[in-house]
Amino acid sequence: MIFVTVGNHFQGFDRLIKKADEIASHTSYAILIQKGYSSYRPQSARYFDFVPIQEAMQYIQASELVISHAGIGTIILCKEYGIPLIIFPRRKKYGEHGTDHQVEIARAIEERKDDHIYIVYEEEQLEAKIAEVLARREKPIPGTNVGRANLIRTIKTFIEDHN
Amino acid sequence: MKKPKKIGLICSAGGHYTEMLQLWETFEGYPKFLLTYREITTKDQQDAYYVENIFRGPLAFIKGIAKTFMILLRERPDILFSTGSEIAAPAFYFGKLLFGTKLIYLECSAQVYQPSLTGRFVYPITDLFLVQWEPLLKKYGPKAKYVGGLL
Repeated sequence: MIFVTVGNHFQGFDRLIKKADEIASHTSYAILIQKGYSSYRPQSARYFDFVPIQEAMQYIQASELVISHAGIGTIILCKEYGIPLIIFPRRKKYGEHGTDHQVEIARAIEERKDDHIYIVYEEEQLEAKIAEVLARREKPIPGTNVGRANLIRTIKTFIEDHN
Repeated sequence: MKKPKKIGLICSAGGHYTEMLQLWETFEGYPKFLLTYREITTKDQQDAYYVENIFRGPLAFIKGIAKTFMILLRERPDILFSTGSEIAAPAFYFGKLLFGTKLIYLECSAQVYQPSLTGRFVYPITDLFLVQWEPLLKKYGPKAKYVGGLL
């Protein structure tokens, strides 16, 4: 399954939903879309608006590939579960977000060259990238998150010092 | 033995909430409560208080702020921790100014080069201020710390 998700942001992301639905109409990929506040209703792909976070986590874990806006939650979860991820950032100029910070996140991740995370900026390139990633059949190993361990330690120390 | 400190955890829905869940084990063993937005993604969580998004309109703004105050009055947390975003602002100011609460703010990992509005707003009163990308340090003052990021 390919899980397409656009998060909780109050603006829609029709550009991604439409493209994913179009891909679903002429390929054999099983595509499930979380469309959030987007107004376009997919014709070929299965879709829903929102689900509780635990359910979304299950969809991510059950996917061969996740395609997402540059939303932090999805990126963190894909890394944790070791699921390949294509990031397609929301753009201010299309009314998809208030700023272009999703492009900044995408660029920062691109520079870091994370395994199994791919960035696509134009929807015309999405289908080719999906084919490329699925053809790799990679089995990513969930990584240990050093940043997370450091944050937990720092916050714990602060709490204990103020006890 | 001193009474363990009570911790209030505050975050919006979406990525801020996922970041909170990633750090949940930090607060295991402490009495705690969660303050978040009422959304499908966040519903039915344990020990949670819900407010409507305060930017959904003037009425939601007033109701959200009043409810935040009532929750702090009832819970009297010793420490507030937030992963953002604007939902933290009223709670942090009430906490600091009225109850002397210690404040910990984690700037969202979505902020790579630019500070968030909420981050800038709560920075002056926050006791432990953490950013998740090193380049962001120079946009804040000397109090900001970078020890790593979730992303």
